[in-house]
Amino acid sequence: MDYGIEVRDQEAVIRLRGRLTFNDHAKLRALIGEMGQNKLKRQVLDLSSLEFVDSAGIGMLLIAREEMERAAKQFILRGAAGQVKRVLTVAQIAKIVPIED
Amino acid sequence: MIDGTIQGTTEETHQATGCRTRFAGLLAPGLLPDRLDRLALALRLSPMQAPAGPAPLAVLLAGDGTAVPESDALWLPPVAAWIEPPAGTGASDASARLAALMAEAEASDLYLNLTTATAHDLQLGGRLLAALSARHPLEGDRRDDVELALHEAVCNALVHGNLGVAGMKELSAQELERFSRDLGDRLADPVLASRRIVVTLRIDPAEDGRPLATVEIADEGAGFNPGPRASSGASGRGLDLIGTIADGLTLEDGGRRIRMRFRL
Repeated sequence: MDYGIEVRDQEAVIRLRGRLTFNDHAKLRALIGEMGQNKLKRQVLDLSSLEFVDSAGIGMLLIAREEMERAAKQFILRGAAGQVKRVLTVAQIAKIVPIED
Repeated sequence: MIDGTIQGTTEETHQATGCRTRFAGLLAPGLLPDRLDRLALALRLSPMQAPAGPAPLAVLLAGDGTAVPESDALWLPPVAAWIEPPAGTGASDASARLAALMAEAEASDLYLNLTTATAHDLQLGGRLLAALSARHPLEGDRRDDVELALHEAVCNALVHGNLGVAGMKELSAQELERFSRDLGDRLADPVLASRRIVVTLRIDPAEDGRPLATVEIADEGAGFNPGPRASSGASGRGLDLIGTIADGLTLEDGGRRIRMRFRL
């Protein structure tokens, strides 16, 4: 998995690319650190270029969400498609994290 | 041991010993040609430089991390087994151990036997899906779902089984850091990293005549008790996802072996 962060006026948009699995723990740690460091209140994870996510990837997204809550920031998942959208649905993540199309 | 696996045995004998795959050739990217020739000779297989022909082939993966096959062709038909040769004290010992694994491979339609160190970086779920789908095409959501189930079962066997890394229970960056550190430490432990993951896949007709894939994934960890799982932490969703996707799910050998069935 790779990611890029775009800081806009109202929100930081983090675009994830590739496959997010248990093996991406180091990148997720770095990502959570970067999300905490920028000043914006809205942190949007753009999942439209993410091809595959596993249960550990979902778990790491939930950790990111929890850390943003601790930092009093909003955390939003956006643009999930295909397998990613399907896993988010099956794991009922919408109950915990706001999901936008 | 080798005698039981030679080519040219009668079909009746093969059926009696549960032979499903009769291998014709051996590939070993990364092995020196003379070593490949010796192993192939001991197993009575043809040494091969690249996949070719219709008959099933086995690939030997060297365990030093230098010969991981990036080439997709090595994961597609006619290749039907991926084996990391066991470390042996001598050449004859090594080939006898390898012959035992080849016999296991012959009893399956697809077979994989690797150390944790080698399996860790291979994205085996996707590789297994590609190998299965090349024989029985899976499409759309079903393809994604079966890949996820295979991937989750492989990850459980490697991370929680062989490496004994506990799941992320709390939703915190500290817990993610702990997971990261444990995973790194245990992969660096040669005893844990050399534990094996064994995958067997068999395709049989189901009662309704449609093909049914049975996949078994075994590890050498401490096993686990599949009791009630907390769904509030960061880990613990994998087995539930597998249960949702698979048409049958059983845990055996104290949790060290998972058997999944998928209608194809």
